[in-house]
Amino acid sequence: MQQKKSFWKRLTGSREASLVLILVALLIVVTILSGGTFLTPSNISQIFRNNALTMLMALGMLCVLLTAGIDISITSILAFSGMTIGLLQKYDILHNTFLLFLIAALIGTGCGLLNGLIISKGKVAPIICTMGGMYIWRGLAYVISNNNWASGADVSGFSDFGKDGSVGPYIILAIAYVVFFIVMKWTTFGRRIYAVGSNAEAAEVSGINVDKVISLVYMIMGLLAGLSGALSVSIYASAQPNMQYGKEMDVIAACVIGGVSMNGGRGSVVGTFLGALFYAIVAKALPLVGLESIWQNLIKGIIVLAVVLLNVLTQRAMDRANLERREL
Amino acid sequence: MAGKSGREINAVPQNSVKQKILSWEGGLVIIFVAVLILGAVISPTYNFFSVFREMPKYLCEIFMMFAMGYILIIAEIDISVGAIVCLAATLGCFAGNAGAPLAGVIAVCIGVGFLAGCLNGVILTHFTELPSMIVTLGTQIIFRGIAEVSLGSGGSVSMSNSKIIMPLATMVGPFPLVFFFVAIAAVIFIFSLSRTTFGRKLYAVGSNHTAAHYAGIPVQKIRMICFVLIGTMAGVCALFYLSTTFGANTTTGQGYEMDVIAMCVFGGIATTGGKGNLIGATIAGFTIVCLRIALGQRNINTQLILVIIGLLLIISVLIPRISEVLGNRKRRAVQG
Amino acid sequence: MSDDLILELKGITKIFPGVKALDQVQFQLRRGEVHALMGENGAGKSTFIKVITGVHRAEEGHMYLNGQEVHFKGPKDALEAGIAAVYQHPTTYPELTVTENIFMGHEFKKNGLIQWRAMNQEAKKLLDRLDADFKPTEEMGALSVAQQQMVEIAKALSTNAKIIILDEPTAALAANESQRLYRIVDQLRDEGVSIIFISHRMEDMYRVASRVTVFRDAHYIGTYDVDKITTPDLIKAMVGREISDMYPKPDVEIGKEVFRFEGMTRTGYFKDVAMTVHAGEIVGVTGLVGAGRTETLEAVCGITKADSGHVFVDGKEVHIKKPADAMKAGIVLLPENRQTQGLILRWGLGDNVILPIQDELAKGPFKVKNEKKERELSKKYLEEVDTKAVTIFDPASSLSGGNQQKVVVAKALVQDNMKVLIMDEPTKGVDVGAKAEIYSIMGDLAKKGYGILMISSEMPEILGMSDRIYTMCKGRVTGCLDRRDATQELLLEMSMEKGNNEKKEAAE
Repeated sequence: MQQKKSFWKRLTGSREASLVLILVALLIVVTILSGGTFLTPSNISQIFRNNALTMLMALGMLCVLLTAGIDISITSILAFSGMTIGLLQKYDILHNTFLLFLIAALIGTGCGLLNGLIISKGKVAPIICTMGGMYIWRGLAYVISNNNWASGADVSGFSDFGKDGSVGPYIILAIAYVVFFIVMKWTTFGRRIYAVGSNAEAAEVSGINVDKVISLVYMIMGLLAGLSGALSVSIYASAQPNMQYGKEMDVIAACVIGGVSMNGGRGSVVGTFLGALFYAIVAKALPLVGLESIWQNLIKGIIVLAVVLLNVLTQRAMDRANLERREL
Repeated sequence: MAGKSGREINAVPQNSVKQKILSWEGGLVIIFVAVLILGAVISPTYNFFSVFREMPKYLCEIFMMFAMGYILIIAEIDISVGAIVCLAATLGCFAGNAGAPLAGVIAVCIGVGFLAGCLNGVILTHFTELPSMIVTLGTQIIFRGIAEVSLGSGGSVSMSNSKIIMPLATMVGPFPLVFFFVAIAAVIFIFSLSRTTFGRKLYAVGSNHTAAHYAGIPVQKIRMICFVLIGTMAGVCALFYLSTTFGANTTTGQGYEMDVIAMCVFGGIATTGGKGNLIGATIAGFTIVCLRIALGQRNINTQLILVIIGLLLIISVLIPRISEVLGNRKRRAVQG
Repeated sequence: MSDDLILELKGITKIFPGVKALDQVQFQLRRGEVHALMGENGAGKSTFIKVITGVHRAEEGHMYLNGQEVHFKGPKDALEAGIAAVYQHPTTYPELTVTENIFMGHEFKKNGLIQWRAMNQEAKKLLDRLDADFKPTEEMGALSVAQQQMVEIAKALSTNAKIIILDEPTAALAANESQRLYRIVDQLRDEGVSIIFISHRMEDMYRVASRVTVFRDAHYIGTYDVDKITTPDLIKAMVGREISDMYPKPDVEIGKEVFRFEGMTRTGYFKDVAMTVHAGEIVGVTGLVGAGRTETLEAVCGITKADSGHVFVDGKEVHIKKPADAMKAGIVLLPENRQTQGLILRWGLGDNVILPIQDELAKGPFKVKNEKKERELSKKYLEEVDTKAVTIFDPASSLSGGNQQKVVVAKALVQDNMKVLIMDEPTKGVDVGAKAEIYSIMGDLAKKGYGILMISSEMPEILGMSDRIYTMCKGRVTGCLDRRDATQELLLEMSMEKGNNEKKEAAE
């Protein structure tokens, strides 16, 4: 009996370990299929560069999902902040890379805070609130752009930061992951997020200000979405109101694959990273197995649904095993 | 064995006219009229005939709105409807291009919607641990993914022979045909919700699905019916979408889920379930349609409507909460 | 000694909308004593605890800690003042580790970073002190209820609590687990902690407490020394009258068998359970919490699915797959939790009552609601059970617990093909007056020839109302006693784990 328990524990307790195994297997298969040309330095750096936005926002989504919430307004916040700094450059108001990043981050933080306050103080369901936000910020991005877009020439200086070969995006990613790893594991704020998602009522009783934690979580999500807006303008050297449309699903999917529970309380920074990496590698590998890019969304959707259903089935098997152990 | 105390309990329903006017629906009617006046003020071409002429473009969403009302009342959500519209319209268009007659296109659109709804329903009733938000988030990617794969690298398809679908776009006097279908659907959906035992079951499931289960209501069957219904309605929506645009692409139906949820919430249906009715939602739906027509006639940035609907959604869900907070404050002031 | 009070409450009144939950109650806790707080369900014990721990704020009254008046604004204030509560169903973070559950809100930190190693070590020390058999790094959700309670006690100790409140801690525990809890309580007392022990088990009180305070119907009744009060006096204090007056059990001719089930099995919940009910008979089912009583009868009614088993009504087998099947066969269930299972609180009383039969009343192929008939029927049955309500449109949430329960009874009675009524804890959280009325309805139904199966944890009720009593333990029927042979002690003994339990004790 004891053995059975530890077996289940090992299987489910360490989602990260199993993800690493799956990733390694995936890499081996892909490497063989590509005739050994997959794991080249340029391919690897491309994987990170192409998925920098997803990877960055996945950290914020981790926090949001940990509180049993969801945020589907992130790519709209991204577009709004990205469009704003794009226009600032287009009309030659500002060209300082650091200040532009700062402005984008501040816009994102503001949008996120608004989401957080509506959800925590207004007691509005996160999906509804962020669905509204998704339209408002995207709509505003269109309105301020007046259907124009900032071209590569407009943002030429700024795009040096994120252009192919620049280390900028990697540094931002690395810093973000290290900071989040420490915050989520070793600070009380990080643990409060887990507590609120695990049992909000108990958290309230232990004197945790649940509303504040929830507001902050959405604010952090907004901050990362705003940063991603600047990063997106920098990497893709343009700003359009429709940028990254629909990519919020990629972010959520990366988290879900990484073992973050959508019911709150469960998930880790390492898992999120591995989930995002898995997602990125699959996207990069699809052409290698002969599937055109139009297949991407379908395959991604199937993976997400399969992971979600698999989680339920594992949980059921565990519960069943527990019940069978109970003597009557 | 009548009660020992012989206490009598009143069973006479009381309906006051004042209450009806002060209700959420009463407010909606006022807003609706205000929108019509606004339209007439900002656009010289905004009149009875032009509104009805331009209505079909926007009206197809209303079909889904009725079913979304049911979904929200049973405390669920379906965010895959936009993707279902995309898939159904795409496949319907292909069917037409492959030589199918109107009946064939209708069958494909509605059939695709029905099957997509079945998929959602089957997953949700067999994996009851999963919230509908998560499942429909996942199936949404899949439905749109299938549409993308069938559309190929071009990403769009148009009807090679739009005559097939034209019968659906005819005008009956000043009214478009689709208006009558919407009216029929409205009567059926509103009647079922407010007058039949099925309607009461929806409210029971949404208010307290545990108590509903204990009272012998087949909760899972009802969830299944509602998700199949909304899938089917998304198919109907796709059909009328084709009759106005004669084609589909990868962005077809994007954001429809939010539009219809906003209409319902604006119409007084609570996303927490068990509250609201479709009369309010219908008025709200037509208010938004008429507003769109007005803004469209003035060529006001079409994206501005997104901001307006988004704000409308958030403000309508916030209103009950705000009045609750204000009520508490007042009560406290009285006590203090 | 009597002057050495660590905690004193005077004239506490707490009002909820429509109900006075506490009316001028008082309480005194001496330093280093174990003080039992007893009373029936709904007497106001839980509300009182929540006032002490700052969850609720009392409308009137004063609270003194070490002689100084205190005003708690929230649970945090109480915690900081050294008052900790451990609830029957621990409110924990199931996804987090034991260590984290213990230290949530007061972690060890150095330079702003959490010191996991130090916290794990400290947690281990606390758990060792309580003689716990699990590691601090285990996930909370994987522990049993008893183990989770231990974590909660460890949490209280980690905050250096001087007063620990245990709210019905033994209700969800097996006998050997209760024994271990008693030892922990002894140990804490010896270490100078003052303990308020809430329970309605006599056994708990005699074993651990030195004094006992009794509440009844939101009022303070009295405080007694445990070694000076007798059980009948205590029961009288709790119930307010002699038991015999309370239960209007009519003498009814017991008829033929109306209801029987056998071989009911569900893995992990119950095994091979069989029971029989005759016409006019009231059959009690008792056992400790977690014995599988509710689970069994819910499976019989189709609420959950049993793995196997047969159900017979009037001698004919019926196949029950869903609740509607049971209702069609004449088996009606009065669920345990009226607020979440029995009623839709937001709805009017009338709509609640007719919900199970609305389809039968409906008109035409589209099942149009027959509102006139619905109103007539709901009025009739609500009056029959004597509900205190003004109209049938009053929301169910506006009624008191007892009246809500009457609405649930009306909802059962309205099903006119009913043959057997299964009542799960029918008087839980119901005031004394409504209790008596529910018993009289039960008596009337028995007289009319219905079979009644009543699950109850309250011994006086079981002994007072039943013709025959089944006891269950760990998912099995452990015995069946006739009314004449049953005593409280015998029933309790049969409800406890036998043999098995002694073996385990010996092994320890």
